Amino acid sequence: MNICSAIVHAKPEVAGIVQASLEEFAGVQVHGGAEQGKLIVTLEGEGDDALADTMAKFNDVSGVINTVMIYHYCGDEPADMEVMK
Amino acid sequence: MKLTRRDFVKSNAAAAAAVAAGVSLPAIQVANAATADGMDADGIRWDKIACRFCGTGCSVLVGTKGGKMVASQGDPDAPVNKGLNCIKGYFLPKILYGEDRLTQPLLRKKGGKFAKDGKFEPVSWDEAFDVMAEHWKVALKKDMEKNAGQPVDKMTSSVGMFGSGQWTVWEGYAASKLMKAGFRSNNLDPNARHCMASAVGAFMRAFGIDEPMGCYDDLEHADAFVLWGANMAEMHPILWSRLTDTRLTKKDCEVHVLSTYEHRCFELADNGMVFHPQSDLAIANYIANYIIQNKAYNQDFIGKHVNFTQTATDIGYGLRPDHPLEKAAKNAGKGALSKISFEEYAASVAPYTLEKAAEMSGVPAKDLERLAKLYADPNKKVTSYWTMGMNQHTRGVWINGLVYNIHLLMGKISEPGNSPFSLTGQPSACGTAREVGTFCHRLPADLVVANPAHRKFSEQVWKLPEGTLNGKVGYHAVLMHRMLKDSKMNTFWVMCNNNMQAAANLNEESYPGWRNPANFITVSDPYPTVSAMAADLILPTAMWAEKEGAYGNAERRTQFWRQQVKAPGESKSDLWQLMEFAKRFNMEEVWPAELLDKAPEYKGKTLFDILYTNDQVNKFAVQEVKDSQGNVYDNDEMADFGFYPQKGLFEEYRMFNSADNIIKKGHEMAPFDAYHTARGLRWPVIDGKETLWRFREGYDPHVAKGEGVKFYGKPDGKANIISAPFEPAAESPDKEFDLWLCTGRVLEHWHSGSMTNRVPELHRAVPDAVVFMHRNDAKKRKLRDGQMAKLQTRRGELVARVETRGRNRPPEGLVFIPWFDASRLVNKLTLDATDPLSKETDYKKCAVKVIKA
Repeated sequence: MNICSAIVHAKPEVAGIVQASLEEFAGVQVHGGAEQGKLIVTLEGEGDDALADTMAKFNDVSGVINTVMIYHYCGDEPADMEVMK
Repeated sequence: MKLTRRDFVKSNAAAAAAVAAGVSLPAIQVANAATADGMDADGIRWDKIACRFCGTGCSVLVGTKGGKMVASQGDPDAPVNKGLNCIKGYFLPKILYGEDRLTQPLLRKKGGKFAKDGKFEPVSWDEAFDVMAEHWKVALKKDMEKNAGQPVDKMTSSVGMFGSGQWTVWEGYAASKLMKAGFRSNNLDPNARHCMASAVGAFMRAFGIDEPMGCYDDLEHADAFVLWGANMAEMHPILWSRLTDTRLTKKDCEVHVLSTYEHRCFELADNGMVFHPQSDLAIANYIANYIIQNKAYNQDFIGKHVNFTQTATDIGYGLRPDHPLEKAAKNAGKGALSKISFEEYAASVAPYTLEKAAEMSGVPAKDLERLAKLYADPNKKVTSYWTMGMNQHTRGVWINGLVYNIHLLMGKISEPGNSPFSLTGQPSACGTAREVGTFCHRLPADLVVANPAHRKFSEQVWKLPEGTLNGKVGYHAVLMHRMLKDSKMNTFWVMCNNNMQAAANLNEESYPGWRNPANFITVSDPYPTVSAMAADLILPTAMWAEKEGAYGNAERRTQFWRQQVKAPGESKSDLWQLMEFAKRFNMEEVWPAELLDKAPEYKGKTLFDILYTNDQVNKFAVQEVKDSQGNVYDNDEMADFGFYPQKGLFEEYRMFNSADNIIKKGHEMAPFDAYHTARGLRWPVIDGKETLWRFREGYDPHVAKGEGVKFYGKPDGKANIISAPFEPAAESPDKEFDLWLCTGRVLEHWHSGSMTNRVPELHRAVPDAVVFMHRNDAKKRKLRDGQMAKLQTRRGELVARVETRGRNRPPEGLVFIPWFDASRLVNKLTLDATDPLSKETDYKKCAVKVIKA
């Protein structure tokens, strides 16, 4: 399991369009922040490579001003393991 | 509700991002995975560490498990990055674990013996240091014979060291002591010469003390930002993110971007300006002229706090003295300032009218005027940022100064939001290279070797007999390679940088110098870089988190970290290597008898005894290194030497910047232990309190009540406005070499890529350096996107893939190529023209021809 989070900056007036473009990438989820132009994004992928490639592509999406990473977790355990019921 | 491990980690990740962004996500369950100190539920030990890469100085939390670094997170308690992290910082743990990490010393050998033309073979540390010391002793003996009877300011030296703005503070300090006090050689320079020397020169000339007066808090206080030759979006992404935040949330905030090609910062720019290379000199003078013509200047401020001066002109290009450009220069290398009146200054900028500046720069007049109006508006707080675009410039000191002129004319300086701010490229270019003074002309805390009083003070701190320190300025970075080629410098130790790849004019100077049979070259590095492979001896180095460290960032913030993991194999830190090497020399082998007669108690001792067991460096006994949660950390150097060398070196260093009898005030630092608990402190630190804005009453404790503003680096407390005209670049495009060549960096890679190319993800993201060019320029040469092109200059050639649609969009007439790619050595192309004042190379301007490969 390999998960990271990022803040993607975009001007608020185009943040909705940027959000839609980002969500087209596999494993990408946008959790909010469009109104402030700060999209809260998580990425999930099997290998590190795929994640890095996706992140690198964010900056080429029209309207993206900047991407900053926040958190990275890389563990061997299966992602579907239940931790809480 | 069922919650899988995936949900759990994902919500942690999103929550951390939301907190850092100040965005509320009601649906997210907040779980704090990482605390500042201590262990988390997964058995991961988290601790703070300053990032290994750029000069921003972000604090990162790194997670260690089973002796290996496994996770990282932006440090939410760090004032610099407030929980953010850039793509390089995110992959930080992986730089330690490249597959080709060096783990034992390698020496070129043939038939069991060292041979310059031999092949690398593994050797023990003993054999490595024996062979190395043998060569150094030959050179030192020759120096001693040559210097017999010479006054100290005429002493020469044929040993040299090239260090780094990535050295920890104590490594730079220990190196400076070894070279300057031990070997009596000023041939010590850092790679910061290639990146910050022009900024340093300008600070000293204008303010008499190094480093910015403001700090990163300006990012939230400013009403407008101007970028002069800085691609912050890629090179300082965290600062760019703070700037972006201000631009998007503050009413009427504006961003102006000046560059010789369009880059990612233009996405946010309200006024993006692409100017012809070198014409920034004309633009800055035009703005000053606009301010004067419109009487917008702050009369009260310039009356009280400013002197007007004129710099010598026609100063050449720092090339070899027999180069036609140097012979033609009237005042080659001259930096003298002469006092002028305000009226004379006004007359000197008067020729730079709007029309003239627009014509010279190619920037539309209305855009230039908008920029000038911004600076001239007394109600707009303006922060200016610049990096290599202004520093790597044959008139780098001048252009830095011209921007200070604008801020000084308006009094827009030394207060929140009004800040001319020179950004730094390396994590400790400020902390180590500049503050410790690992330059060929410097001693710690802004002291210089050429000043007898400064030498005397340093000799007292270091317990050296009077007359030990060499008073002659040593070889700077570019001169070092020329002197190796000319066989004037014969032993050379390169630490913590990749200068074979980084230094300009590889074919004509660097490579012939290193492979010259008269010379013995040692490179200390964790990886087999281009430099390591060009050396005679490679020493495997413990890096970053594998040792206790300290860095100083661009806003004067000193940050410490603890050793997190062990270095692989036989690798040893630079600090260990420097101190251990000193054990190989008896004092009689490095100092002449006359000098030793002045300190007879030093006879029969080793250099290690004199430098590092002087009752100061070895003052602190072995102790347990613990964080506030009780986690215990290794300190391998402490274990090896039997005392706490990092602490002893730092406390001795503080005798230069914080003792009662110091020569230059303003660099005060807190005691060693304070930094292990703080998220860094910005000097001057007085009574435990850091300083955010210097030179202004109320912010800077060195400015007394009632003084208002005082530039106390200068004896009269006034800053210099320095008039300097436009002068052309060293090499401009002509009929044959018809394009400008500009080199630089990309986001994913740190400088030469020694570390980032070892991270598969980063290497994959940007594996090869491409040449960015305008579609019309490509078309004219029958090149299409993705095809291979050959780049030729008067010095060399290389082949790279053409990119016309990428993140960098040059105008017609200019191509841009990044230099991280060891398979495409851009410095075969570049010219070693330097700023004659700062000796910093201009990597941004030379003439190139591009043809189909």
